[in-house]
Amino acid sequence: MSKDARARRGTFRLLGVLATAATLAATAGCAASGSSESSDGTVTLEFAQWWEPELPEGALRGMMDDFEAQNPGIKVNLLSGPYASTKEQLFAGAAAGTMSDVVGLDGAWVSDFAKQGALADLSALMADAGFDDSELASQIQVDGSTYMIPAVNFVYPLFTNDDLLSKAGISAPPTNRTEFAAAAKAVSALGDNTSGWILPLSQEAPNGIQNDVMSWTWASGGSMLKDGQPDLTNDDVKSAVEFVQGMWNDGSIAPGSFTMKEQDKVEEFSNGRVGMMIDSLAHINLLRENDPNLKFSISAIPAEDGFTGERGIPYASWGIGVSDSSAHPAEAFKLVQYLMSEKVNSELSTVANAFPGNTKSVPDFSNSDPLFQTAFDIYKAGYPANEFTGLPVAEDLMRSFDGQFQSLLNGDQSVDETLENAQKEWESQF
Amino acid sequence: MTSSSVDRTLRAPGRFSKARRGSEPYAFILPTALLITVLMIVPIVMVIGYSFSDNVITNKHPELVWLANYAEVLGDPVFHTAVINTVVFTVGSVAAHLVLGLAFAMMLNTQLLSRFTKALFRTVYILPWLFTAAVIAVLWRLLLSPNGVVNYLLDSTGIASGQVEWLSNPDLALGSVTFINIWAGYPFFMISLLAGLQGIPHDLYEAATVDGANGIQKFFSVTIPQLRPIIISMLLLDLIWTSQQFALIWMTTGGGPINVTEMLSTYTYKLAFSRYEFALASTSAVLVLALSMVLAVFYVRHQRARD
Amino acid sequence: MTTMTKRNRNRLLMKVGVILGLVAGAMFAGFPILWMLSSSFKSNGEIFEFPPRLVTEDFSFGAYLSILTDPTKVRFFVNSYVVAIAVTLLTLFVAIMAAYAFSRFEFRGKRIINVVIVSVQAVPPITLLIPYFGLVVVLGLYNTYPGLILTYMVFTLPYAIIMMTGYFNTLPRELDEAVRMDGAGSMTALWKVLVPIAVPGIVSVGIYTFMIAWNEYLFALTLTKTEDMRTVPIGIQLLMGQHSYQWNEIMAMSILGSVPVLILFLFFQRYFMGGLASGSVKS
Repeated sequence: MSKDARARRGTFRLLGVLATAATLAATAGCAASGSSESSDGTVTLEFAQWWEPELPEGALRGMMDDFEAQNPGIKVNLLSGPYASTKEQLFAGAAAGTMSDVVGLDGAWVSDFAKQGALADLSALMADAGFDDSELASQIQVDGSTYMIPAVNFVYPLFTNDDLLSKAGISAPPTNRTEFAAAAKAVSALGDNTSGWILPLSQEAPNGIQNDVMSWTWASGGSMLKDGQPDLTNDDVKSAVEFVQGMWNDGSIAPGSFTMKEQDKVEEFSNGRVGMMIDSLAHINLLRENDPNLKFSISAIPAEDGFTGERGIPYASWGIGVSDSSAHPAEAFKLVQYLMSEKVNSELSTVANAFPGNTKSVPDFSNSDPLFQTAFDIYKAGYPANEFTGLPVAEDLMRSFDGQFQSLLNGDQSVDETLENAQKEWESQF
Repeated sequence: MTSSSVDRTLRAPGRFSKARRGSEPYAFILPTALLITVLMIVPIVMVIGYSFSDNVITNKHPELVWLANYAEVLGDPVFHTAVINTVVFTVGSVAAHLVLGLAFAMMLNTQLLSRFTKALFRTVYILPWLFTAAVIAVLWRLLLSPNGVVNYLLDSTGIASGQVEWLSNPDLALGSVTFINIWAGYPFFMISLLAGLQGIPHDLYEAATVDGANGIQKFFSVTIPQLRPIIISMLLLDLIWTSQQFALIWMTTGGGPINVTEMLSTYTYKLAFSRYEFALASTSAVLVLALSMVLAVFYVRHQRARD
Repeated sequence: MTTMTKRNRNRLLMKVGVILGLVAGAMFAGFPILWMLSSSFKSNGEIFEFPPRLVTEDFSFGAYLSILTDPTKVRFFVNSYVVAIAVTLLTLFVAIMAAYAFSRFEFRGKRIINVVIVSVQAVPPITLLIPYFGLVVVLGLYNTYPGLILTYMVFTLPYAIIMMTGYFNTLPRELDEAVRMDGAGSMTALWKVLVPIAVPGIVSVGIYTFMIAWNEYLFALTLTKTEDMRTVPIGIQLLMGQHSYQWNEIMAMSILGSVPVLILFLFFQRYFMGGLASGSVKS
């Protein structure tokens, strides 16, 4: 055989390998998911989440050990990843059919994963298990079925630096927008690189739109939706946006907003450069750690002047869901049930510095900061508000609003133009 | 001159290469071909397939839509912005990488300093290379923050005053991101050029000295022509790599403020993992691939012309 | 006489110029790293204080201790070494052979293969992620060392081949042709003659390959799932939490990760020093 012919045959063989590999890759979607069953019938569940590194060392593992002790025949394998990459990993895992049996979720992702067919219908699993859902504080539903249960909620109240405020001549945390704007202006006037308020608007993690911008709407009982559709041009949203723009124009907002992230807020605040911030309760311990002498208070987010109704408080959840491709959905749901049970949920919320997703659970504040009790009272007095939870492409909605909002603050367009443009972008996604 | 005589040596006598045509070279490239085909071409072919379908991954039964995705991406004004930003960012970075890398390599190759001094500087100069993109992004966010050390130093030396928003001012952000990328990427050029400089025969310089050439003339008549193949290869690679730079941009500005640092990479990412439009993201990726193919063809042509 | 002093003066001026240039460059290159080092000894609060200070009163090795005493994190380092070293050695071996073919042979399909090798690097990894992941799962390489190693080889090979071809092209062909004329095979010509001369180039390609494998994040995260398979960049990102960052530990872990690489570089950098390659190239 000539060398050329041999080379050609080699090429054909290569093409054959290629075709086989492509076919295999295309069928990858059918591969079995995370869990495995050993010969003695022990089921090992995979639980993918970003919580373990956020919690005290060994805390989550300890709970899993208890679960294993209570459920002989089920083992749990904790798979932890960095928070910022969790969403891509779940998405890729769902596409390749390797998604873990039980997964930690953020409310902003649920709708998309549910539509991708990656998540199991928890309503059906609850029915199968005869689970009574009356104790659940909330369930995140898409098209009438539950896909995520918030295990714990992190609320975002207003943090105020007592020393800075009193230096600026303000004795108590502001309760309405006028007071807030005045306080922010007064603190900024102190000079020495201090600012009244801090507003993270990074487009990498655009949740500042949810926690720091829309929260002003929710705190006054407003909404950005109408019958489940975007309604950004209503008066409640408009007044909140105008209010934030006013503070921007007053120079009351700390520099660097356009690329600032949630994680930066706490550092600026604990270094005494920012008078007020809307921030996660989870930060109380970190603030104490960073500066034990820092004096600060927690209060509800100020509402429109004269507002007397119930105030919405923004929150973020650690939610749980079950993979649609799980080979052991019943066992997986047992783990969900366990995490949502009164005692375990109390324990989880205590170690996470968050509020429980089970209405009967009460976090143990006896060993924690007295401010947690204050925050819990604020939480009970208002209602948890996060309209982004469960919306399709929720993160993209925040991001496109963010882009428009930055253009507004940069002076490129008016408030009305901003809201109309954002409304148009949102409508195209619904 | 001398360099041309070397060029002649480099151009191998054709008779050997033409005579050895058999299957031998295929054996040498077989491992590479196998790996690249199975692990690279297959996924790429799948991505190209996605780009002709409607909403893959999220949709279990995607429809074939042929060029509709291409029309949508090419008609998106944000895509145009991303292309322009990517060109500015890439050309700026690559040019600076070359100039800095060459300058540092020449200085580190000097005969004027002791070996120890050079080793010390060489070690310092390679430092930016040792860190993963996420850390570089976090570090520079820290350095360039309005209350960061860069502003402090500029303020106390009187060069600039106040809290400059390097990354969040729409007028400065693209420049700042490019600067960070220049810092992070020049060691690659420097090291490769340093290695290339070792390969230049001394007699070329000696002959040039005899011919009466000064330092600058020697640089242009000996050093540059000798380094040319390495420089061209690196320019090509760096162009391709820099145009894909993602983590650095994403973790410093996220493509903002507004969209002044939106690149093809961040645009593609947002399509894939923020809007879950995987077909559109694949389309954008295929467009980038097509552009690079053009570059690659020119490069290979050039290679052949040189042989 | 006067020309001699003039030349000496010129030499001195040039030396001062080079030193000034090197110091300026070193500040540009080194200051951010110095700041990183300084931050790794600070408390999280101090990292953000204004005015910033290089050394603070809370100076502590705490961040380093908490990393080095955590077996999970130490395991990340081990994994990174295993993967990066294997990738470097395998890439060099495979690339040297391919580069030899490209540099010394004419064969059908050479151009098209070249175009493919150059342009496969141009697909944004983020879009490759999903199909690639599916492929790795099917091939049974998910959560294994070979999975990561082969993946990185695919990313490092194009560069390594292009650069090695470039280096081989700068070496006179008479060198290896002569060996082959004497009756030795191509393998001998390559490994006994060309490779020893090309050491500076091989080292620089090797260092680059090591860096890529050491610092890669996206695929390391996607293609592994258990903690005993994860690498240093993932360990660093795990310190960037949902609500807050462990700034000092991020910095400390980066520094710790870079030290061994730096030692490796120090060890190999003698190959960059003059004389070694140029002497043998003279023919």
